[in-house]
Amino acid sequence: MTDLALLLSLTVLAMLLLAGALAMRRALLWRIGRAAKVDWAAGLLALPKRYLVDVHHVVGRDPYAARMHALAAGGLLAGSALALLGLIPALGDNRLFWWLTALTFAAAFAGGAMVGRRRYPNKPARLSGGRFQLLPFLLAAYTGGGFLVALDASLGGALWLLGLLGLAFAAVGGIGLAWQIDRGPMRHAFAGAAHLVAHPRPGRFNGERATALAPLDLDAPRLGVATPEDFAFNRLIGFDACIQCGRCEVACPAFAAGQPLNPKRLIQDLAASLQPGATNAAYAGSPYPNARPVAGIGGPGLPIVGEGAMIHPDTLWSCTTCRACVEECPMMIEHVDAILDLRRFQTLELGAVPARAAAPLMELRYADEPGGRPLASRTDFAAGLTLPLMSDKGEAEILLWLGEGAYELRYGRTLRALVTLLQKAGVDFAVLGAEERDCGDLARRLGDEAGFQRLARANIATLSRYRFARILTADPHALHALRNEYRDFGGTYEVIHHTAFLDELAAAGRLDFGTLGEARVTYHDPCYLGRYNGEVDAPRRLLDRLGIERREMERSGKRSMCCGGGGGAPVSDIEGERRIPDIRMAQASATGAGIVAVACPQCSAMLEGVTGARPAVHDIAELVLMAVEKAGTTPARPAQVPA
Amino acid sequence: MKIAVLLSAGRHSVSGRPAPVPVELQALRLAVDLGAEVTGLHAGPELGPLNDALGHGLAHLIHLRGDGAADPVPALAAALAAGGYDLILAGRAGQGGEDSGLLPYTLARALGRPILADAAALGPGEAPGTLAIEQALARGARRRLVVRLPALVTVHPAAPPPLPFAFAGMRRGRVEIREVETREGLPAPAPEIEERAYRPRPKLIAKAAAGASALERLRAATEAASGGGRLLVDPAPEEAAREILAHLRVLGLRAGR
Repeated sequence: MTDLALLLSLTVLAMLLLAGALAMRRALLWRIGRAAKVDWAAGLLALPKRYLVDVHHVVGRDPYAARMHALAAGGLLAGSALALLGLIPALGDNRLFWWLTALTFAAAFAGGAMVGRRRYPNKPARLSGGRFQLLPFLLAAYTGGGFLVALDASLGGALWLLGLLGLAFAAVGGIGLAWQIDRGPMRHAFAGAAHLVAHPRPGRFNGERATALAPLDLDAPRLGVATPEDFAFNRLIGFDACIQCGRCEVACPAFAAGQPLNPKRLIQDLAASLQPGATNAAYAGSPYPNARPVAGIGGPGLPIVGEGAMIHPDTLWSCTTCRACVEECPMMIEHVDAILDLRRFQTLELGAVPARAAAPLMELRYADEPGGRPLASRTDFAAGLTLPLMSDKGEAEILLWLGEGAYELRYGRTLRALVTLLQKAGVDFAVLGAEERDCGDLARRLGDEAGFQRLARANIATLSRYRFARILTADPHALHALRNEYRDFGGTYEVIHHTAFLDELAAAGRLDFGTLGEARVTYHDPCYLGRYNGEVDAPRRLLDRLGIERREMERSGKRSMCCGGGGGAPVSDIEGERRIPDIRMAQASATGAGIVAVACPQCSAMLEGVTGARPAVHDIAELVLMAVEKAGTTPARPAQVPA
Repeated sequence: MKIAVLLSAGRHSVSGRPAPVPVELQALRLAVDLGAEVTGLHAGPELGPLNDALGHGLAHLIHLRGDGAADPVPALAAALAAGGYDLILAGRAGQGGEDSGLLPYTLARALGRPILADAAALGPGEAPGTLAIEQALARGARRRLVVRLPALVTVHPAAPPPLPFAFAGMRRGRVEIREVETREGLPAPAPEIEERAYRPRPKLIAKAAAGASALERLRAATEAASGGGRLLVDPAPEEAAREILAHLRVLGLRAGR
C-alpha cells in the first residue's frame, strides 16, 4: 500500500466522520416532529427493493438521469467503500484491489461528468442552482482524485506525482461533498434512505395506490399543522429527501398556470423551516410563479403559513390535489399530504379559507350540499326517465351514486346517458334520491375534516340501511371517497366507476355497439380515477370498443394533467396567468382529435368552460350511448380490443 | 367596548334544518372586526347549531334557557341590562317560523335605548363613546350616521360576509347556560294561521282599450309611457327654442309671461 493510498483511505474516513456528524445533527432536528407509527424492521428490510425497484422505476422515466445517478452515486459509494476497505492490510497491499478501486472511481467520475453536462453550459429551468451548481466540480475533484491515487497505488507508486495531485483534489472534493450532507444537495442521500425506510405510506411500495388521506383526530389539542413540530417526524424526513430535480414543478398544473405554487419550492420551504432561525434565502430554484410576498422566516416552533412566515396561504390554496407532483417525485415525497395538513390547520383552527370557499362549506354544514340546493332536486336531471329509488326497493344489485354533477345541466346529460344505458342493459339499479348527501370530497380537500367526517358518517348510516352489491358512480371524486376514504369510518364498499362498469357490460355482451364513424377521440384521465385509483385501462378499452380512432395526449394515464377542477381549486379561485383547463385543452387539440372524452363531472365542467375553437367535450357514457343508438342502423365493426 | 350579539334559532332556507341566521353571523363579524369584547346571547329552549357561532369568531355565548313558547324579550332585556353592553347587535330579521324582525324594537323600548336599523358597516366614531354606522338603504344607497352609545343596531345582509367557520374555534368557545324562569301569561299566543283559497290577481291592463282592436290596445298600453309633447323633425333653431320654452312653461318649470 502506498502512502498516498493510505492517505486516501484516511480522507474517506474523515469524510465519513464529518458526514456522519452532520447527518446526526440533521437527524436530531427530525425529532421535533410528532410521533408516528413506523415499522422500522420491515422498512429496513425493504429498503434495497424500494430503492432499486420503486425509486428506479420513477427515475428511469428520464434515462439520462437514471444512468447519471447510477454511475455517480453507485461509483461514489463503491469507490469510497473500497478506498476505506483499503485500510485492511490484506486488501490494501493488493494491487489488483486498487485497480478495481480506480475503476469504480472512474465510473463515478463519468457520472460526475454527466451531472456537469446536464448543468453546463445551460441549466434547465427545473433544476436548482446555488450549491447544486458546485456539485459536478466537487464530484469531479473527489472521484478524479480518487482515481489517480488508486491508479498510482495499483501501479505500486509509479505515478506518485499524479497521485499526490489526485490526493489533494480528492481531499478538497471529498470534504466539500461531506460538508453538504446536512444542507446541500448531498442531504437527499441519507435523508432519502431514511425516508424510504420510514415512508408514511408504505403501501405505495407494495403495489397499492395508497392515496386515501389519513383521518384527523378531531379531539386532538391542535388540528392540522401550524409549525414544523406538528408534522409527523417521518414527514419531516420526507421533506429533507428532496433533491430539487424539479420534476414536480414541470408536472404541476398550478405552476403551469402561473398560480403561486411550485411543489419543489414548497418542499424546500418546509425543509428549511426545520432549522432554528430559518430563512428561505438559500433556495436557488424557480420561484413560486407570481409569488405573493412573504417574510421568509421560520423555525421549529414558528408558523409555516402566513405573510410573516415561510409560505403564503395562496400557495396552499392553488393546489388542485391532483397528485401529479407525487407521481413524478423520484424520492416518493408526499407533497399533497403536506398541503392538506397545512390546509387543515388553516380551515379548522383559523377559519382562514379563501373567501369564496367559505360559502360552500357553510351550505354543506346545514344543507349537506355545497350549492345549498335541495337534496330532493338532485334527481331533477332525470325528468322523464324512470329512476328507481332505494327507499322504494330496499335492495338492488347496483346503487347508483349520482354525486354533485347531477345538479349541473351539462353533466345531467351524461347521467341521463348513463341511466339510459343501464336500462338498455337491464341492470338492476337504484339511486338514493333525496337521501344522498354530498360525499364530502370538497370539504375534505378544503381542509374541513370535521365536515367531511360528519358527511361520511351520515352517508355510511344511510347506506347501511340498504342492500346492494356494488356502488356505481360517474364521479371519480365520490368514487375515491366511498372506496378508499370511508373505510376509516366503517364503510367498506365495492365501488366501480361507470367506465369500468360499461366496459363490463360490453364485455358480457349486454350492450350492442354501432360504429361512431370517422370521429377521432382523445381521452382525458381524471386524476382521481387514474392517479388516485390506477384505473386507466378500462376507459380506453371501452373507447376502443366503439370503433373510433383513439389518440393519446402528450400526458396521459397516471401521468395525465389535471383539468384544474380538483381540491376545491374552482372555489378557492387563486389568480394566475392562465387557466389550467385552457392548457389541458390545448394539449387535447394538439392530438388532432375532434372529441375529448372525459369521465368526471369536474373535468367535464372545466373543459366545457374553455372558449374558442376546440374539440367537443363528451363523457364516455355519452359516446357509448351514441354508439348503442347506432347499433341497429349501421353494421357494427368488430371491436378492436388490444389483447 | 362590550358588544352583545343576539342570536336566534334559525333554519336553513332550503333544507329547513336548524342553522344560525346568516345576517346574525354577519353582525357577529362586524362586532369582531371592531375589536370589541363580544358576547353572544340566545334565549330559547335549546342552543342547537348556534354553537357554531363560536366557530365564527365568538368567544363567549350565553344561553338563556327557558320555555320555547315564552316571549324572549324579558329574559333578553334583563340579561342585556345586567351585562352593561355598549352596543347590542341583532340581525334585521331572524329566519325561523314567525320571526318578524320586531324583537330588536321591543328590546330597544324595554331597555330605553336608541335603535338604528340596517347597518352595513360599523366603525368607531370620531368622538369617544360614539359609533359611525353605514346604513344600507334601498337600491344599494348608503347613509353615514353617527350614534351615541349605548345603542341597539340591527344589521343588514349587505354587511360583509360572516367570518369563515373554524371548527376549533367552536371547540374553544365558552357556553354559559343561565336558566330563565318563565312568567305565565306574558307571551302573546301565536296567531292561528288562516288558510284561504287561491284568488287570481286581477289584471291591471287599461280598461279603456278592452274590446278594441289590437292596434288600439297597443296604443293604450304605450301611450302612458310616452312623455307627450310635439315631435319636430329638423326644425329651425329659433322654432326649436320657442317650442322648448313653451314646453317648459307648460310643465311649470318657467314662469309664463
